[in-house]
Amino acid sequence: MMRIIFERSGGFMGRKVSLDLDLATLPPDQADALKLLVAESDFLNLTELPTNTPAPDGFAYSITVKTSTIQHTIQASDANFPQGLRPLLNDLLARARSQ
Amino acid sequence: MPHRHSIFCILPPHMLDQVVQSGTSAQRDMAARTLAASRQIRDRRGNITASVMKGAITTTGTAQRTVYDAKFGTNLPGSIARKEGDAPVADVAVNEAYDGSGATHDLYAVAFGRNSIDNHGMNLNSTVHYDKGYDNAFWDGQQMVYGDGDEDLPASERLFNRFTISLDVIGHELTHGVTQYEANLVYKNQQGALNEAISDIFGSLVKQYQRDQTADAADWIIGEGLFTANINGAGIRSMKAPGTAYNDPVLGKDPQPAHMKDYLTTSQDNGGVHINSGIINHAFYVSAIEIGGYAWAKAGQIWYKTLTEKLNSNSNFQNVADLTFQTAGEIFGVGSLEQIGVKKGWTEVGIAVVDSGSGIPPVPIPGGDGCLKGLLRSVGLAK
Ligand SMILES: [Zn+2]
Repeated sequence: MMRIIFERSGGFMGRKVSLDLDLATLPPDQADALKLLVAESDFLNLTELPTNTPAPDGFAYSITVKTSTIQHTIQASDANFPQGLRPLLNDLLARARSQ
Repeated sequence: MPHRHSIFCILPPHMLDQVVQSGTSAQRDMAARTLAASRQIRDRRGNITASVMKGAITTTGTAQRTVYDAKFGTNLPGSIARKEGDAPVADVAVNEAYDGSGATHDLYAVAFGRNSIDNHGMNLNSTVHYDKGYDNAFWDGQQMVYGDGDEDLPASERLFNRFTISLDVIGHELTHGVTQYEANLVYKNQQGALNEAISDIFGSLVKQYQRDQTADAADWIIGEGLFTANINGAGIRSMKAPGTAYNDPVLGKDPQPAHMKDYLTTSQDNGGVHINSGIINHAFYVSAIEIGGYAWAKAGQIWYKTLTEKLNSNSNFQNVADLTFQTAGEIFGVGSLEQIGVKKGWTEVGIAVVDSGSGIPPVPIPGGDGCLKGLLRSVGLAK
């Protein structure tokens, strides 16, 4: 199993956008695409980023991936968001924004 | 500053001209501030205004703007799209960022005698077209950054337009830079909400100044035009009536409080900095309405002085209430209408001002020659 919990907070409006995805509930091709994004970004092995001073009105992002054996969370801002995680972020954002 | 009060009065054009033409740079600067302060009682399109504005610009510097294009990526600043002095380009977001940062620079220069973000002529750098589907704008510590809203979605699904569309958003972001160079308020909890409110206040003043609106004529909406027609809302925030800016099935209802009893304690958004700012925003609005006239001239003056001379990184709501009250007393006199207006603003949002008792004694409002003399004395041209 895999679950992805995503949250974007802050921003000029201060509006939170969030998502709690159980991949088992998705069409298989979408679930596979997401699993691939998690694998390609090596998400579960990424080290946590040092907390930086928040940029005024910048977004704060939190992504948590849970499997049957492991749970890992990465928190980042616009300023220090890891490039390698952007494809996963873009997928999650597209889903969260169309809710 | 003993004669400070007397600069807020009507002066005949030839006197201001004299100051502008023959004064030292400090005197010209003072004359420019005087003009800004008394703007509500003169025709800003007149010759007097033009000649004094010239004086203001020579003493506070002209804007040095560069607008960059991130081309829907996230690398900052991106490639140069328009530099200072360049003619408008075909890209509307580029021109909005250019014109908006110029309008913000002008308000700071003319109304407050400030030379750019750092008061030392710092370049005004903006990046537009940041990221894809980026419904936001921010200040990254060195520059302004604007997304295009929901440009990547079909028109029927878009919630947000490009963020340069709203002049007060540009004023808001640039003011984060000013705050960083002045009080440098911590971006968290009450300090962060105060930081946010200061950006909304001066952002709104930029819009009011550009539209030539008095406090009672302004809409006090932050982010007007950011929502597409798919959203039921006038804008992101309302300083006049926090909590009423939007009410929409998709976005929900504007969550801002207008009173301390509704202060929200949360871990989201650095402690609800974009929510609790409504309390300070509303206090400013009430004060500006009470004082009357152009909001930048008096209420803005009080807040500018408080921001640049009194607040520090840990100032909270009570501190800013006490300090704006004190500052109003110093500029306009203890017990002046302006000081009473400031207090009224804080009372309406549930903050009781603690009176430190400092300030200048009340003085009769000077008129005619007394007023003139006051100005000339204050700039050193009369005894
Ligand atoms: Zn802000």
